[in-house]
Amino acid sequence: MAEFESRLVSCFAIAFPELAAQEIPAVSMGSLASWDSLAGITLISVIEEEFSVSIAPDDVPDLVSFELILDYLQKDYLQRDYLGRLSPEDAR
Amino acid sequence: MKLAEALKIVQSAPTDAPPLQVALLCGFTPLHLETFLRAQLCKLFSGRFPVVQTGLYGDLIGNLERVADVSAAVVVMEWADLDPRLGLRRLGGWEPSQLQDILSEASRSCVLLQNAVAAVARNIPVVACFPTLPLVPFSFTPLARASEFTLELRSRVASLSAALSHLPGVRIVDPQRLDALSSSLRLDVNSDLSAGFPYTLAHASALAEALAGLVLNPQPKKGLITDLDDTLWRGILGEVGVQGISWDLDNHSQIHALYQQLLHSLSASGTLIAVASKNDRPLVEEAFAARDPILRETDVFPFEVHWGAKSESVARILGAWNISADDVVCVDDSPMDLAEIKAVHPGAECLLFPRENPQAAYELLERLRDLFGKDKISQEDGLRAASLRANVELQHDRKQASPGAAGDFISHIDGKLTLSSQKQPLDSRSLELVNKTNQFNLNGRRFQEAEWQNWLNAPDAVLVAASYRDKYGPLGKIAVIAGDLLHGVNVNGVNGGSSGKRRLCIRTWVMSCRAFSRLIEYECIRWLFAKLDVEELEFDFLPTARNTPMQNFLQQVRNAPAEPHCRLSRAQFMQSCPPLSHTVEESANG
Repeated sequence: MAEFESRLVSCFAIAFPELAAQEIPAVSMGSLASWDSLAGITLISVIEEEFSVSIAPDDVPDLVSFELILDYLQKDYLQRDYLGRLSPEDAR
Repeated sequence: MKLAEALKIVQSAPTDAPPLQVALLCGFTPLHLETFLRAQLCKLFSGRFPVVQTGLYGDLIGNLERVADVSAAVVVMEWADLDPRLGLRRLGGWEPSQLQDILSEASRSCVLLQNAVAAVARNIPVVACFPTLPLVPFSFTPLARASEFTLELRSRVASLSAALSHLPGVRIVDPQRLDALSSSLRLDVNSDLSAGFPYTLAHASALAEALAGLVLNPQPKKGLITDLDDTLWRGILGEVGVQGISWDLDNHSQIHALYQQLLHSLSASGTLIAVASKNDRPLVEEAFAARDPILRETDVFPFEVHWGAKSESVARILGAWNISADDVVCVDDSPMDLAEIKAVHPGAECLLFPRENPQAAYELLERLRDLFGKDKISQEDGLRAASLRANVELQHDRKQASPGAAGDFISHIDGKLTLSSQKQPLDSRSLELVNKTNQFNLNGRRFQEAEWQNWLNAPDAVLVAASYRDKYGPLGKIAVIAGDLLHGVNVNGVNGGSSGKRRLCIRTWVMSCRAFSRLIEYECIRWLFAKLDVEELEFDFLPTARNTPMQNFLQQVRNAPAEPHCRLSRAQFMQSCPPLSHTVEESANG
C-alpha cells in the first residue's frame, strides 16, 4: 500500500504544483486555498487516470483530503481485488 | 496524451516567453480540453507561452461575439449549441411532436453561428470543429436506423461546415482525421452531468491534438524527390525492360499508379518533383516516352539518373531548386539509399516506399498529402516548376554572355516588375512568402496571421509586394517588404524634427530564390525611395543560418557589413546601385 500512497502523492503534485512533496500527505481542501471545485475536478480526473478507477459522483464531495482519498482508493482496491477472486456467479 | 502529462507540460511552459493568445470558444465547460489544448500548443509552439482564453458556459455565439486580442480562435461546437434539448443538462423534451421544432431551432442556430464565425474570421484565423459526440436518443427510431430528423440535423451541420470552409481564414477539423485520432468512447455522461464537460479524457486529448495542429497550420514541404524502380513503378527497369515495368491492377501494382497519381496532383499544386534514380538515362527516357506514366515527364524537374550516389543527386536537385534539404521529402524503396541520403542531408525527410505492402504504401500516400498539404492553390503554385526550368535557361544564357556584361544581359531580358502597396484585403501569398522564405530574408522572422494583420492595420505600416516576369516567363509574386514609416527622424545626424524627413524601418523583407540574379532587390529599393519619399531605410536585420544572400546584398549596397538596424541613405544607394532597366508598374489590386 506504500506504492498507493506514493502514486497519490504524484497525483497531488501534478494537480497542485505549488505543494512540496512533504506537505502533501497532510493536505486538505480546508488547508489549501487553491483546492477549489475546478482544481478538485482536475485532481479527481488525474487520480482516475492514474489508478484506472471511476469515482462515483456521489463519493466525490466526501474526498476532501489526501488521507480520505487514500483511504477511499485502498478500500476500492481491496473490494475490486475481492470481487476479482469470486466466480462470476458469486459476484452477481 | 494523459491528463497528468498535459498538466506537466503546461506547468513547465516558460512563463517569460512571448505569449500566444488563443481563444477556446465552446458552449460547454472547457475544463480538460483547455488543459490538453494548452499542452498541445506548448509542444507545437516552442518558445511561446500559450494562453488559452475561454468564454461563458452555454453561450457559444456570445463567446464568438466577445472574442478579442487573440492570435487565433478555436471554436468547438456540440449538438447542444444548436439546441439545448440535444444536450444532457437541459430538459426541454424529446417528444415526437417537438422534433420539427428542434430542427427549426438548429437551423436558426446554424445561421447565427455562420455569421458569428465569419465575423471573427475577418480578423483572426478560426479553427472550427463541428459536433463530435453521438446524438442523444431524441428521435423515435431504434438507434441502428437513421431517422429523417437525425439525417436532416446532420445535413444542416454539413451545410454550415461547407459554407464556412469557403471563408479565408477558417480551418475546419476533418471528421475523418478526428475519427482516426479518437476511436474510443467520446461521451462522458458522469463528467457532463457533474461538471458540464462532456468529453472522455481520451477524446479531449485527441480533439486538442487536431485543433492545435490546425492552429499551427505548418508550412508545406516544397519538393519531393522520388526513386523510380519499385517506387514510381513496379519492376527494375534495367532488368525487365521498358515493357516489363507496371503500375496497374492486372499486374498487382496499382499502388504505384496511385503514388504516381498523387505526385502528379502534387505537381499540379505547385510542389516540385524530381527523380533520383540509379539507372541508365536513355532507358528512363524511353520508359517515360513509350509507357506514358501518370506522372508526366513535364511534371519532373530535374531528372538525376545515373549510377552515382543518391546523396549527390539530391545535392544537385537542391541546387537546381535553390532550396534546403529541410524543405524536401525523399521517397525510395531502398533503406540503404535513404540512409545514405540522410547521412549527407540530415534535414531531408526520408520515407521508405514499402513496395511489398500496399496497406503501408497507402499510409505513405496519406503522409505525403499531409506533408505537402496547403490551404489553397495560388497562381504562383502553377508557375513554380516552369520558372525553375526557365531559371536554368537564364543562367545558361547569362554564362554565354561576355563576362562583366551582366548588367547588359539583364537589360535584354525585358524584366517587368509590378509593385503593389495595397494592404487590404489580406493577401495570403505575401504572408506565405514571408513565412517560408529562408535565403533572401532580412531576419527569419515568421508571423501568425493575426499578428501580421494587426501590424499591417497600423496607419504607418507599409506593405509592398512585387511580382515579376521577363522573356523567360512569369515568376508571380516573388518579394514582400513590410515596415513602419517614421516621421521627423534624425537622418545622417540631422534631426528632421517637423521638417518632415522620413525613414522607412524595414521589419521584414523576403524574396523568392527563383528571382535571384535579376537585380530586383535594387529596383525595389529604388522604388521605395521614390514612392515613399523617404530619406533613409533602416533594416531590422538579423543574421540567420541561411540568409547569406541577404547579408551579401546589404554588404554590397551599403559597402559595409550587414548588422542589426543598419541603415541606407538615399545618397548611399544612388552611389552603389547598378544600372537598372526593368519596366516598373504599380498595381492597385495586389
